[in-house]
Amino acid sequence: MTDSIATAPPPTTEAAPPRRRNSKLDQWIAFWTVPFFFTLFGIVFVPLSWMMPPRSPSSSSSQIVDFMQSHNLLIACAILTLSFGLAPLSNAVYLIQIKRMSVSPVLRFSVVVGSMTGAIVGMLFPMFCFGLGAFRSGYDPSILAMLYDFGYLAYIGSLGCFCVMWMAFGLAIILDKNNVLPKWLGYYTVWQYVTELMAAPVWIFKSGPFAWNGLMTFWFAMVLYVSWQMIVYVCIYRAIKNQPDDELENA
Amino acid sequence: MTDVAEGPLPSIGDTPRDTKARSDFPGESSMWFFVVGDLLIFGIYFIAYVYYRGQDHDLFLQSQARLNLDIGAINTVVLLTSSLFVALGTSAARAGKTADGVRLFVIALACGAAFPLLKLFEYIPEVIAGVTPGTNLFFMYYFVMTGLHLCHVMLGLVILCFIVGNLRGSAKPNISFVETGATYWHMVDILWLILFALLYLMR
Repeated sequence: MTDSIATAPPPTTEAAPPRRRNSKLDQWIAFWTVPFFFTLFGIVFVPLSWMMPPRSPSSSSSQIVDFMQSHNLLIACAILTLSFGLAPLSNAVYLIQIKRMSVSPVLRFSVVVGSMTGAIVGMLFPMFCFGLGAFRSGYDPSILAMLYDFGYLAYIGSLGCFCVMWMAFGLAIILDKNNVLPKWLGYYTVWQYVTELMAAPVWIFKSGPFAWNGLMTFWFAMVLYVSWQMIVYVCIYRAIKNQPDDELENA
Repeated sequence: MTDVAEGPLPSIGDTPRDTKARSDFPGESSMWFFVVGDLLIFGIYFIAYVYYRGQDHDLFLQSQARLNLDIGAINTVVLLTSSLFVALGTSAARAGKTADGVRLFVIALACGAAFPLLKLFEYIPEVIAGVTPGTNLFFMYYFVMTGLHLCHVMLGLVILCFIVGNLRGSAKPNISFVETGATYWHMVDILWLILFALLYLMR
């Protein structure tokens, strides 16, 4: 009996080379770009260009022209288009954690594809609209008004594009049996994406709570989103910290 | 046959059969997190609704008069009945009477499934008559809030299906899951009661 055991291939665990101390460096770099990206995002959107909080859809023509032709708006759009490439890094951080969950890969791929479609419509489209309006002076006010509408509708009306992505993310957390991320975060994610669906009415109303700068469509969703985003990062931070070294793929 | 000996009516709460270090909450605590948060979010929406209603009281009253109060009332009864059967089913499952539990949950599911169907009979004539979310602020609120609630109902029906599957599938069903699902279903119920009062009844 002992013979047959002896012929078995020797366990390979000793064969692994001694790991570098900071074997999660790649994940930490990707992780810390995210707060940087969002800080930049916030500075550019709010104090630099005042794109956010969103201006009223019923602004007068001269207000629209003033806004669209401002120099700061051009700078803001240039910075955002330049730093747009940082956005996928945050998704890389999510994906590594989703990959550890005991769920179907479909959810992982939905997050990838959902984030791509969402980012193109929700970020590149508005940047090009606003940037284009600011690029050359002397555009006809009606053209500027259309770019203004296009920019804001793409920015806020497209929130539904992110919905499937976050739905997959939330579902993965709830169904996961490895406890990579806490269950309640999954439920929190559900609220987050449901409030994003509330963005649909911005295509109908030009004032009031359901306009694109309205209480229901923008402010509630934004309060929920910002707090959610911060909490997700704390949870992801803990998940990376708790990830055992033998689960890492960058051996 | 010792099961029959439930003579002196021990109340539902004090006979947890599988006392495996249960918390004070029925079901998973993460579901309670969801319920409280969901009620909070809806609560904020309700406050916003009442605020905007106050801004244009006449418009809201006139629009409200066009709602189909009958179907709304029937739906309330349907949902409450469903909730009752969910509660009965949960206590049956807790007491180990799984077969009864399955029957009760199937009835609850049937009642629950009537809700979206009735809702369809409510929505379609309205849309055909030209009443859409774009009509005015009241109808936007009406469609958004009832639509959001309908999503909750649909999710609840899926959960009820899983509960039935769970009770039928294994000899030792997961009671905690049953309770978690039941908790969710009661929340859907409560939300509807508030929604019905605010959208259909409030004068």
